[in-house]
Amino acid sequence: MLPLEHLQTTMARSVLAIEPMVSAKMLTAGKADPLARLRIYQNNTRSSLTAVLMADFPVTVRLVDERFFRYVASEFIRRHPPVESRLSRYGAGFPRFLKTIDTLSDIPIVAETARLEWAIAEALDTASLPPRSLVDYDKIDLGPSPDILLQPSLRLIVSHWSILSVWTAHQQGTAVDQHCTWTRRPERVALWRAGNSVRLVLLDRADFAFRHSLKHGLGLEHGASRAHALDPNFDLVSALVRLFADELVTNVRITVHSLSN
Amino acid sequence: MSSAFQPLAIPASAGIGLRSPHISEMLTRRPSAGWLEVHAENYMGDGAGVEALERLRETYPLSLHGVGLSLGSAGGLDRDHLERLRSVCERFRPDLVSEHLAWSVADGAYLNDLLPLRYDEEALSIVARNVETVQDKLKRRVLIENLSAYLAFADSSMNEAEFLAELVARTGCGLLLDVNNVHVSAHNLQYDAKAFIDVLPADAVGEIHLAGHATNQVGADTVLIDDHGSRVPPVVWALYEHAIARLGPRPTLIEWDTDVPVLDVLLGEAMWADMLTASIMFSRKQAARQAAAAKPRPESPTPFENVKTGMPVLAAFAAAKAGPVMSAALTPMEGRYDVAA
Repeated sequence: MLPLEHLQTTMARSVLAIEPMVSAKMLTAGKADPLARLRIYQNNTRSSLTAVLMADFPVTVRLVDERFFRYVASEFIRRHPPVESRLSRYGAGFPRFLKTIDTLSDIPIVAETARLEWAIAEALDTASLPPRSLVDYDKIDLGPSPDILLQPSLRLIVSHWSILSVWTAHQQGTAVDQHCTWTRRPERVALWRAGNSVRLVLLDRADFAFRHSLKHGLGLEHGASRAHALDPNFDLVSALVRLFADELVTNVRITVHSLSN
Repeated sequence: MSSAFQPLAIPASAGIGLRSPHISEMLTRRPSAGWLEVHAENYMGDGAGVEALERLRETYPLSLHGVGLSLGSAGGLDRDHLERLRSVCERFRPDLVSEHLAWSVADGAYLNDLLPLRYDEEALSIVARNVETVQDKLKRRVLIENLSAYLAFADSSMNEAEFLAELVARTGCGLLLDVNNVHVSAHNLQYDAKAFIDVLPADAVGEIHLAGHATNQVGADTVLIDDHGSRVPPVVWALYEHAIARLGPRPTLIEWDTDVPVLDVLLGEAMWADMLTASIMFSRKQAARQAAAAKPRPESPTPFENVKTGMPVLAAFAAAKAGPVMSAALTPMEGRYDVAA
């Protein structure tokens, strides 16, 4: 008789349809064929995890057709099953996996759109903190370069492809132009959670760099310098006003930066 | 946040599983539902659902139902996951916490399904150790739910009910009796569903689950699939009646996870459960009074044995009017039952 851990390993591989399968002699199912009953567990695992992926990547499903998506998902599940039961984390590796699928090699926008959708899924599972307004800091001296803290759900994505345009075209209520072509055009996208949904905006290079610096805690001065380097006409005041208007600022702190910075 | 939540005890009446399509309506209507149950894993992040549950928790008693702890894993528990479960408990202060007698993690993979154990001494030691770890971490008793199964292991040395009874004795855990699971497993593995319930230590049962299931025909094999995708069928109501007759009223959850209906359908199922329990307890009081008056009456069948209607609770009332339900010995719960609960 196998030790329980060995038995469970064998069963787990069988459920994921990885050879060799568990011996029928170990199983019983009344008068039924136990291996046929094992297929119920195989199907439960594959179909439930496929449903998780379809919920996270709805536009990707529409881009590649549902049957093909289900095929790719089942391969992903077999090769990369979840490593934990918190399924909100399952799917992070799916966009990268899509890039390895031969059939999709000539339409890279599929994996890129999936990358955008995973960022949306992450944002939706992240806290939305109370936003601060500019008025809150009317009479406070914040020093020359305060730290601006942004919503933790903020995600910044840059792609060589028009991912936001594709994503937007596939939202409910949006008429999809069947004749549109997927264009190789860089898009920089900021997205964050707003209640039950996400807000997505396109950014130019300078604004993207500015928000990127703030998101990574590099400070206002660093962000402004990077933005100016990319666009000498970068308007810091307008950029700050937009941050507050977008309800992205959760705190502003006076910080003493080290001289080495 | 958690510190603001007052303890809210779950009554021995019916509650509903909170599902995302209903959250908005629950928040605006605040319907009369005895209590709510949520899957712990859905509230380990910081999404909008978590914020909604914080608001609902102010009104409704809460049961936290884990599906991913894998108590039966021989490789031990995922300590990170257990810590997350502790955090969710601390945040929402649930009155009940439950998990499954099952495993779902092995070989580094989480299978997102609940697999049966080989019921033997080795598994009992492992599960008992894992349950004790959980109870120590959460500083509370947890309820362990029986499984719906499609196969079993040939080398098991005891059945699932005996395993659960011994687990209770070793760890002091409670039990969550899933009546639909009993029916599904009893059909699929060919054992007596009522006998399963009768083996369980009655005092340990702290909660009951009810749900629907699907029937699949694969060749000559008719297999019941625990899909939680339909109304509680008459055969499960009948088994619930058997459980209540033995256990007395218990917090009872209507589970509905796939093809989720409108909220009122779910609330209606919960109402049926309350009405059935009321009918059974009323019949038992009548029977007790009649026995006390030394006027023995012939035993009548239980309300569901001859039921062929799709609305079993009304049939239960009809049966209750026709004659008392003479069940097994009355349980100590009877004296605590409150029809208004």
